[in-house]
Amino acid sequence: MPKNLKNTSTYEDQGLSPLIYQALDASVSGVIITDNRLPDNPIIYHNAAFEKITGYSKREIIGHNCRFLQGEDRQQPARAKIKEAIQKGQHITVEIRNYTKQGDLFWNELYISPVKDSDGQVTHFIGVQNDITRRKRVEEKLLMEKESVEKKVEERTENLRSSQEYLNSIIETIREGLVVLDPHFKVLKVNKAFLKLFKVSETETINKLLFDLGNRQWDIETLRELLVKILPTNNPVLDYVVEHDFPHIGPKTMLLNAHRIELEGKYKDRILLAIEDVTDRREIEKRKDDFLSIASHELKTPLTAIRGYVQLLKRFISKENIKALDILSKSDTQIERLNNLIAELLDVSKIKSGKLDIHHSAFDFDKMVRDTIESVQLTNKEHKIVLRGSTGVICNGDETHLSQVVGNLLTNAIKYSPDQAQVSVDLARFGDQVKVMVSDQGVGISDSDKKRIFERFYRVKNIQKRFSGMGIGLYICQQIVLQHGGTIWVDSELGKGSTFSFTIPYKK
Amino acid sequence: MNKRILVCDDDKGITDMLQMVLETIDVETFVENDSVHAMAKIKELLPQLFIVDLWMPVVSGDQLIRRLKMSADSKDIYVLCISASRDGEDIARDAGADAFLSKPFDMDELLDAVEKGMNHVHSA
Repeated sequence: MPKNLKNTSTYEDQGLSPLIYQALDASVSGVIITDNRLPDNPIIYHNAAFEKITGYSKREIIGHNCRFLQGEDRQQPARAKIKEAIQKGQHITVEIRNYTKQGDLFWNELYISPVKDSDGQVTHFIGVQNDITRRKRVEEKLLMEKESVEKKVEERTENLRSSQEYLNSIIETIREGLVVLDPHFKVLKVNKAFLKLFKVSETETINKLLFDLGNRQWDIETLRELLVKILPTNNPVLDYVVEHDFPHIGPKTMLLNAHRIELEGKYKDRILLAIEDVTDRREIEKRKDDFLSIASHELKTPLTAIRGYVQLLKRFISKENIKALDILSKSDTQIERLNNLIAELLDVSKIKSGKLDIHHSAFDFDKMVRDTIESVQLTNKEHKIVLRGSTGVICNGDETHLSQVVGNLLTNAIKYSPDQAQVSVDLARFGDQVKVMVSDQGVGISDSDKKRIFERFYRVKNIQKRFSGMGIGLYICQQIVLQHGGTIWVDSELGKGSTFSFTIPYKK
Repeated sequence: MNKRILVCDDDKGITDMLQMVLETIDVETFVENDSVHAMAKIKELLPQLFIVDLWMPVVSGDQLIRRLKMSADSKDIYVLCISASRDGEDIARDAGADAFLSKPFDMDELLDAVEKGMNHVHSA
């Protein structure tokens, strides 16, 4: 006989078989019976599982109202429901937070059934408890996750909305005309700048084929080919120039850039076309080039006369007058310098407008270097120029321009190593390339300046005060080397000197 | 032997200088600063050598060279073109010039070119 029933006087009163009690004790659910006829509806029976779940002993259970299970946690809505059901004598199932004797929370799934007598009066309640803490925890976790997901979705939506507004404001502020095309080149969207640029309305633009716009200004075979390739190859169209007499706005030069755009989950295979009106910029560039051309021509004319007179004077002066002859020679050198500066200015202008002419012809590369060294040495007696190695090749390139590169690198090396007595030139050949290295042990170049010295008009800050120059020599060198399909670079350390190297393929 | 040289440049600084340089050798030098009148001077003098600039107002050097080379009585005149523009050589050669020097030239180079022109005998 189960021991918790030993002192129970009630089961015989109920007239029930002990077998029933044994069955109840075998259950994993806690079972209690309360007597509704007694004041405060006390517990008059509980099974073994109830003790196990709650941790209370029989003495602490029998005769008590069930509310001790909720401890201090009395404001739960489930309690109100129970109260109502008990008052009405109804059946109820609730989930309620209960506490063990040790104070540990457990979730109780509670079934309450009223027992009625023949008059319909509720005499007892039967309560069945299941510890559903584990299930509840999983549920709570799920709920929390759901809430956090919902919060995230909300945040994302908000982010998206604000970032869309953000993007829109950028798109509408940008001064380039922007067009979004579908894979069939139908216009999906344009920005205000586009409408303003071409003086058109959205209705005559949206849903039209790009090639049908205006007077079919974009219907250019090569542009069409490039645009067709964008989606399958992901190759953008870069700086495509369209010169055209556009409706409403007349002849203009437009610069086109097109990229494939894709927004994950929203759309793919769209083309963003950016159109920039470069008419004015081109015009200004052209005027600047014309100006430089004319200026250099005009500057050279009196220089020609001066040079002629200086050289003529040299003839008239007797061989004995060494001082005067020396002065005239030096004047001639300075005239040559001035002439080179003017030529460089014109070169820059030509490079900028892509008009630097490279005349390829075969020449003896080593001889070109030797001749250049000789002429630089002639006007720079302070430094000795040492030549090491040889290439032994007949090079196909522009001898004049390549000599200009070597000469420029050499005069730089000399200029920026005022305290040294020597600069060197190393020649080498490997594969189909020739390499020239011009080294000095002079002032050197800092890492940050290294990146910029090949830029046009760039002058290293401290250098500007100590050394004269316009900052175009290296730019021209680089452009000439690039035009020959070569590379030019510098290795340098501040205070230790620099080595400028270039390579070019010698047969082309 | 014909030792006449005609110099045509709109810049008087250049023609004055050239005149002085050419005085150092045994030639007769004539100068024309206005290219409009150059053709008439050529026909009148029929020099052995014609030294001409490219960039000149109204009638340009290359136009002059073309006219000279197209005309039967002047087509054998040796033309030395002098110019300060970089692409001058291509323009001059295109027009039919026999030699080209870029400004500012070296006096020895100029005298060499002049000598070559003076000794030039047209094959035709």
